[in-house]
Order: sequence, then structure tokens, then C-alpha cells
Amino acid sequence: METIAIPAINMSVIAPEMILSVVAMALLLINVFVKNEQKGYLGYLSIAGILVTLYSLTIGWGAPQDGFSGSVVQDNFAIFFKGIFLVSAAMSILITDQYLQREGCNQGEVYPLMLFATVGMMLMASGTDLMTIFLGLEVLSVSLYVLAGFNRGSIRSNEAGLKYFLLGAFSTGFLLYGMALTYGATGTTKVVKIAAAAQSGMVSSNLMLVAGMLLMATGFAFKVAAAPFHMWTPDVYEGAPTPITAFMSVGPKAAGFAAFLRVLLVALPVFKAEWSSLLWVLAVLTMTVGNITALYQQNIKRMLAYSSIAHAGYILVGFTAGNAVGTSGILFYMLSYAFMNIGAFAVIILVGKKGEENNNLADYAGFGYKHPALGVAMCVFLFSLAGIPPAAGFVGKFYLFSGAIQAGYIWLAIIGVLNSAASVYYYLRVMIYMYFKEPTEDFNWVRLSPAFIICLIIAIAGVMIPGVVPGTILELAQKAILM
Amino acid sequence: MAATLFYILATVMVIATILAITGRHPVHAIVYLVTSFFALAGIFYLLLAPLVAMFEVIIYAGAVMVLFMFVIMMLDLGHPERGGRPALGQWLPALLLGATVLATISYAAAGFAGDKLPAMLPGVKEFAVTLFSRYGVAIEVISLQLLFAVVGALYLGRRR
Repeated sequence: METIAIPAINMSVIAPEMILSVVAMALLLINVFVKNEQKGYLGYLSIAGILVTLYSLTIGWGAPQDGFSGSVVQDNFAIFFKGIFLVSAAMSILITDQYLQREGCNQGEVYPLMLFATVGMMLMASGTDLMTIFLGLEVLSVSLYVLAGFNRGSIRSNEAGLKYFLLGAFSTGFLLYGMALTYGATGTTKVVKIAAAAQSGMVSSNLMLVAGMLLMATGFAFKVAAAPFHMWTPDVYEGAPTPITAFMSVGPKAAGFAAFLRVLLVALPVFKAEWSSLLWVLAVLTMTVGNITALYQQNIKRMLAYSSIAHAGYILVGFTAGNAVGTSGILFYMLSYAFMNIGAFAVIILVGKKGEENNNLADYAGFGYKHPALGVAMCVFLFSLAGIPPAAGFVGKFYLFSGAIQAGYIWLAIIGVLNSAASVYYYLRVMIYMYFKEPTEDFNWVRLSPAFIICLIIAIAGVMIPGVVPGTILELAQKAILM
Repeated sequence: MAATLFYILATVMVIATILAITGRHPVHAIVYLVTSFFALAGIFYLLLAPLVAMFEVIIYAGAVMVLFMFVIMMLDLGHPERGGRPALGQWLPALLLGATVLATISYAAAGFAGDKLPAMLPGVKEFAVTLFSRYGVAIEVISLQLLFAVVGALYLGRRR
């Protein structure tokens, strides 16, 4: 019989993804045998799975390898991003069970879906073939559509799921069209080969390739919620169950940036001048729109949604720079953003009670006195989000903006700093409500479960330690850049 | 022999397509369209493209049309008496687009100079080799994706 030559398959490249998918599928089966009140144990099992995956990741650090004829790669860049995804997934899972029990929708499917979304993000970070990147994005998105609408009893959650699905599917079309045009112009979907093909003047002067790049940029800009493609963010973040919002605001954004960075930096460095000026405009728009709209928000979840748009803008500043400092700044900032944002959402969950989410700023009146520890924790996260030293948010912004200055984008850095200053207003407003308003409630429903305590401790440590001694993580980030 | 088969299949295809357009009942229209796809698959096979013929049956007749059927049944659209004849204004864009397509194809066919088909079109083997050697990881991811899409759909669609 004739045999077919299959190229060498290097399974160790996708070992982390495989472990996590197997855990997700096993949980799907175990879920059937677990009683409704005990679904929280599935969360602990998924965290165990995440820890094993994290361990399998650390083995690959410093020894980049690719597999499946170059469609996936396990380099430091991918590993650093995967670390962010796993940490944010674990922290979101820690705060999920209590919320879902309170809202009466603690179905076990949430954990496999979250793990599976994480697998999608990991594929996006390590995809070196447009095909893999696209499939990773689809895996991520489909899980997120379901997760956003997970609270089936709530109209807002249903609305969030449907809205995210419709707009997400629409934006995926842009991305796919861009990839198709890029394939048409270069004859390959592998990022390295695209870069090689684009070296020739005949290919790079092809308008089809430019159109492909623009369409891909549009698709990615939607996924990372950059203005003017940010409209879906506040509605989806507000409607989705809060732990899912925490999950969605960090991992998928980081995954979008990971794929975006790889496509632009590795596949299309020929157009660096063009995409830098494009990103310059996107960054300024995103920061300004996010921050200015956030100033007017009375609902804290919406406020954090607009703040997450603004943060995407800060990251785009580092991206525009496109140099080593800017890129390592992105990695560092994404990691610290995971800790501060999920930490803030954890406190938001605790302030709510059954049937009443208590998401309005007025609901926070006097919270800082009734629960001093939680109040201080919230202040730490908000200070970090605002970029006030010694929190990690400050160090991250410092590197993002200094990357821009090094690359000669002085004005961009100035606009970034001004925006950052404006953002202090709405973060501080939460603190003013917490400490300077008379309490109208006694907040006796706030129940700190062990999982929440662990999550908050990790979050505070993750915000304060890199903020005070950024050396170690910064060094890792510098080793993980794509250059 | 091949020419006879071609004319039989082509006649079936044209009649089935006309019936699919003019049929008032959506479910009947879909069945006619599936018939037309099967005839088209036969023609592809006669043109030495067995793979395309297979895909025509599996993807179009099988997957896409079944999906149409599901949507019609789920949304309860199978009631021809509820909808009237489309107005003239609704026919116009269809006529315009149809005329454009017809003109383009006629133009292309007029410039077609005889038999230019390659001796052997890629078959299942070539397809499989490309699929499994280049896109191994993609296949695995797609299968996972389908599994979890089903899980999500089941979760959201389940009765309370």
C-alpha cells in the first residue's frame, strides 16, 4: 500500500492546550454526576487543571519550538501570554461559584466553557498560521458568546450574549476577509512566509495586501475593543454575569493583542510605517473615547467597561511604538491589568446581593467603613488602574509611554499621560463614595468565601509586588518580546 | 454515454431549479433545490471532478440544506398561505442580478475555446494529504470547536 508522508508532528508544542482541553472535556463528563449545590468543586478541579497546564508551560520557557509544519509555535512570547490567560482564568473561576449560586444559575457547564475559551486564547497566542489564529479566535468567541448569556434567567445577560454574538460574528467576517486577501496576495497563510513574500516589491505594492492588512486590523481592533469598534463593550460587560465580565475584560483582550502583535510585527513589518500611523490614530481615539465616556458613567460595571477601552488605548500606545520597550511594556501591562481588573470585579461581586447587583456608584456609599479590608483592596485596584505609584499599573504605563517616546512619538505619549490623568477622576469618585458618603445600607450580606479571599490576596500581591519590585517580571517580559 | 448522461442531468437540474424558485411551499422548494444539487454533483463527476461532486452532496445538499430545513421548521415558516406573491418592486433587484450573472457567464462561455480541462483533477488522496500534512492542528481545533458549540447550544437552548 502506498504511504503518505506526514511531516513530523511535534506534540509537545501544543501540550498545554491539549492538557487544558482534556481537563475541560473531563469536567463536562464529571459535571453530570455532581449535584447542583456542589458545582463549586468543578471550579477547584479546573484550577488544578490550570496549574498543571501552567507547569507544562514553564518547561518550554527559553526553548522555542514549532510544530505541525509551522502552524503553531511555543516561544517565550506565546508562553508569557499564556501565563496571563491562565492566571486570569484561574482568578475568574475562583469568584464564579459564589456569584452563580447567588443568582441561581450555578450550572457546571461554566467551567469547561471557561477552560475552553482559555484554550482558544492560547492557540491565538501561539498561532503562526493565520488559520490557527482564526480558529483560536473562533474557539474563544463561541465560548464567550455562551458565557456572556450564561445567566439564562436574566434578560440583560441574554441581551449581552446575543449582542456579543451578532457583533462578534460580524467582526469575525472582517478578520477572515482580511486573511483571505492576505492569502490571495502572498499565496500563504504562514506569518513567516507572508513576511518573506512581502519582501518583494511586487507583492508589497499589491493593493490587495494593504486591504487585507486593514481588514485584519479592523477585526482585531473589534476584539480588543479599540475605538471606533468599541460600541459592544459596555452593553456586553454590563449584561454578562460579573465573573464572566472579569474573565472577558482581560484574557480575550490580551489574546487579541497577542495575535495582532504577531501578525503585524512578524508578518507585515514591511508596512511598519503604515500600520504605526494607523495605530497612532486608533490609540488616541481609543484612550480619549474610553476615558471621556467613563467620566459620565453612574454604573460601575459600565465605568470599568469604558476604562477597559481606555486601557486598550494605552496598550496601543506601546504597540504603535513597535520597539522592544513598548512591546515588553505591553506584556507587563497586560499581566498587571489581569490582577487589578479581576480584583476590582471581585469586590463588585461582593457588593451585590441576590436580585440586586448594586452596580450604581451610589450603592457604594460608606462601603469602606463597613468593610475596611475590602475597601482598602478596592482602593489598591483603583489606584493601580489609575496608574498611581507604587501599584503595578504605574510601572506598566511608564514602560508603554517611554516606549512611545523612544520611538519618537512624543505627542502620543503626552496625550496618553493627559488621558491617564483624566482617568483618575472617575476612579477616585468610587473611593469618594466609599469613604466620604454616609452609608445607606449596612452591607450585612457581604460574605467572604475562602475562594474570594484567595483571589483577592493573589490580586493584591499581583498589583503590589510588581509595582514595588518590577525587576523580575520586567526581565521575563523583555525576554518574551518578538524581536 | 457521457453526453447522454449530461443532458439527462442538466434537464433534471434546470427543471428542479425552476420548481425551487416558483414553488410556494418553502419545504418543497428546498427538496427541489436538493434534487438540483444532486444533479449538479453528477455533472461534476462526469467532468472528472469526483471530489467536487462529493463536496456538493456533503456540504450543499447535506449540511446547508438541512440547516435551511431546520430554520424553516424551527421558526414555523412553512405556511405558504401566509405570504402573498412578491410585488413587482421585489422582482426588480432579482431580475437585475440574474441578468448580470447570466451575461457574465455567457461572456465567459463565448470565450471558452474547447476542452481545456486537465487530465486529472485533484482527488480525495491529494486533498487528504494537504489537509493532514498542513492543517493537522486546525482539524483537531475544529473538532473541539464543534463539540463545545454543541455544549453551548444545548445549555442555552435547554428548557428550564
